[in-house]
Amino acid sequence: MELTVAPRVPEIVGAQAPKHTPHAVYPDSIVTQAKVSRDTFEAEALPEMDAVYRFALRLSRDPDRAEDLTQETFLRAYRNRDSYTPGTRARSWLFTICRNLFLRGQERSRRHDEIVADVAKKDPRHFSREATVFVQARDRDPEGAFWGEIVDARVMAAIDGLPDDFREVVVLSDLEGLPYAEIAEVLEVPVGTVKSRLFRGRRILQEELYEYAMEEGIIGPSTPSDTPTAEKPSP
Amino acid sequence: MSWSEELRKILRRVRGKPGSPADDGMEGGVSCEEAAERLFEWLDGELDPDEAAGVGEHLETCARCYPVLVFERSFREAVSRAAEGTDAPESLRASILDALEAEDERPEE
Repeated sequence: MELTVAPRVPEIVGAQAPKHTPHAVYPDSIVTQAKVSRDTFEAEALPEMDAVYRFALRLSRDPDRAEDLTQETFLRAYRNRDSYTPGTRARSWLFTICRNLFLRGQERSRRHDEIVADVAKKDPRHFSREATVFVQARDRDPEGAFWGEIVDARVMAAIDGLPDDFREVVVLSDLEGLPYAEIAEVLEVPVGTVKSRLFRGRRILQEELYEYAMEEGIIGPSTPSDTPTAEKPSP
Repeated sequence: MSWSEELRKILRRVRGKPGSPADDGMEGGVSCEEAAERLFEWLDGELDPDEAAGVGEHLETCARCYPVLVFERSFREAVSRAAEGTDAPESLRASILDALEAEDERPEE
């Protein structure tokens, strides 16, 4: 394993924060950095507990498993806290550990390519550059007000229904607000992959939620916009 | 409504009519196609300032692209709002703190 000792970069407000080294999350990595105290760990890592739990919950789709994952993540992180550079992005460091634990714990039955191929086969429209749901909903609800009418639980269920690769990026970007570069670090993929998965993930999610909104009558059935008014006022 | 929003509204009305002479589809110096491709990156704050300014101007003033922007923004807001309030259970917090405590008490390897 390649060992890189990054020089300490002075903190500049508004500048890109120095990157943590993703490989440093493994217990066997040799890291030559200053000791991170329990206090520093508590001050910087523990406030991220809710975010890590949410991430674990969306990854595992199981509250019990999410609790175990969160606990294990913090324990691993604490044991390896010297690999963390204080003042950097604790959240993406913890997400990386959490995801590695999750992946290790579950046998990925299918490779990424197969998942993508399946999704494409299921509905080739997901790969169109067009805003397909926008086009479908344009006449009835051009401002997309119906998105706001869908209950949160249904939105979360739709996110949980996304294939793993797409779910991860949607959760990290839309729910946790991580920049693309940090998502790329957590997932260990290029930024371009983050972009394309996010694009596809959001499109799939939109299709799901749009279908749901139609079924529930949140968005009305298509009606020709030029339908004349039923009754004319009598003279 | 701020003056800049007011101005954009006027711009959309004036240039906006698809097919009108002022409708060159190049608002902000950016084509509709490019704006559509960069829409998510723009919403996510991922573009560098120069690019963001051009794409932003296009999206805000182009009569064809503006509705897509409103629609996508509304979608994104609904998604990010959906997860709010999902926090780690208190019992988990306590048990993590206990685990860290126990870790400190472990003999050095």
